[in-house]
Amino acid sequence: MTGSLALVGRIGLFAARIVLGTLTGRVPLRALVAHLHAVLVRCLAPVLAVVFPFGMVMALQGLHIFQLYGAQRLLSPFVAAAIIRELSPVMASTLVAAQGGSSFAAELGAMRIKEELDATDVMAVDSVAFHAAPRAIALAVACPILNVFGCVSGILGGYVSAVWLLGEPAGIWWSALWDMTSPADLWASVLKTSVFGAIIGLLSCFLGYHARGGAAGVGRAVNDTVVWSVVSFIAANYLLTSAFLAGGAS
Amino acid sequence: MTPLATAGRFAYFLADFGRAVARRPPPASAVLEEAYRIGVRSLPVLLVIAIFVGTNLALQGADAFAPLGGQHLVGTFVAMAGVREMAPVIAAAMIAAKAGTEMASQIAVMRIREQIDALEVMAVNPLWYLVLPRLLGIVLVLPALTILAIFVTLVASWAVVVLQLGQSGAVFLAQAREAVTGADLVFCMAKGLVFGVIIALVSCFFGFHAGRGPEGVGRATNAAVVTVSVAVVFLNWLLSAVFYG
Repeated sequence: MTGSLALVGRIGLFAARIVLGTLTGRVPLRALVAHLHAVLVRCLAPVLAVVFPFGMVMALQGLHIFQLYGAQRLLSPFVAAAIIRELSPVMASTLVAAQGGSSFAAELGAMRIKEELDATDVMAVDSVAFHAAPRAIALAVACPILNVFGCVSGILGGYVSAVWLLGEPAGIWWSALWDMTSPADLWASVLKTSVFGAIIGLLSCFLGYHARGGAAGVGRAVNDTVVWSVVSFIAANYLLTSAFLAGGAS
Repeated sequence: MTPLATAGRFAYFLADFGRAVARRPPPASAVLEEAYRIGVRSLPVLLVIAIFVGTNLALQGADAFAPLGGQHLVGTFVAMAGVREMAPVIAAAMIAAKAGTEMASQIAVMRIREQIDALEVMAVNPLWYLVLPRLLGIVLVLPALTILAIFVTLVASWAVVVLQLGQSGAVFLAQAREAVTGADLVFCMAKGLVFGVIIALVSCFFGFHAGRGPEGVGRATNAAVVTVSVAVVFLNWLLSAVFYG
């Protein structure tokens, strides 16, 4: 118990060092842009490839429910709301954790094992601000951007499934699309994924930075990154969803 | 390596695996050990995720169906979206994230430490000795984990419906029972079976073909979990479209 409490404290201190490094301007901007570019490029295809079939499945199952009540008109607003509020934020963030977070953890872990991080510190350069902070910030920024692509891809997936495969009329699909979704939902989705991205960035860089025990240690850091960031942001998702729904975001 | 070359290598990997497995019965104790490791160690993570998937399904379902005047639809929605789609996919994704990445990184470490070459030198087929127990282990436990995830998702949704939203739990359960049939549960277990095969084979494949050094291990683990997630979600749609479409 004290062990896990100490871990939370160490993660907090690590976060403080990232924030402090950012505020004092010790984060290299060029590296930040390069990492942001890397995350976006690496994660875009997986995000699109995962949210698209999910949109298809939601249209398939949603149609079953709405057919019971003869309310097929509600299918597209239902798919859009489900994708924008929950599925795209959660699935896109899972993929960002699996692809972007884990690759950053692997990079930092390899730098730790090869003592590159120690070398940075020896040269009086703050290794957290120089190596970890740009990666963590890149993940936090990339997550909401990728989520927007995920939303578009999921809605298109629902369209393909409902209109092309199940033969629902396309006009009703597009005209009714935004009936359940308001701009507040979009902002909530962006806000949510920013929080998820910050969680992923913090945990992946923390675990990679503190990797130990050779190549196996790097593998373990990557493994832990995916598992713990997904668990943390799904828990945060429940709290955020409750807050948004209670606050009347919809 | 280009995607096409990777696909080709994967086909060779499958062919080699088929040949290696056909010759001898699997190492039984190793299968049970892997089943224990995959099933029991992944359980806490899976349960936490399933709880939060259930809570959010109930919250969003209640909100989405409010304009229909359909508080009674929450049970149907949770049963259809949760039981049929979310629980199997989430279970597979978490097992991929926990057990799949572990397989990839363990095998990748063995590869770069030349332990796999050592096995071959001792005339032990590494595909038979390392991959087969992991494959059978995950196939044994993933259907069971899927059912468990379904149960936990439903309980969490029920708790949110009753405690947070203040609606009738009896109506929720009646609706859920009406929407979920025994065939659905069997089909979810079949999905778990397919996903398990994909997770084990793809993760082990990337572990086997890991590059040099610690970066190689990291990259193999990374590639494994992403490929598996995409494959699982796509197959989920395919299986659902065939079964429910």
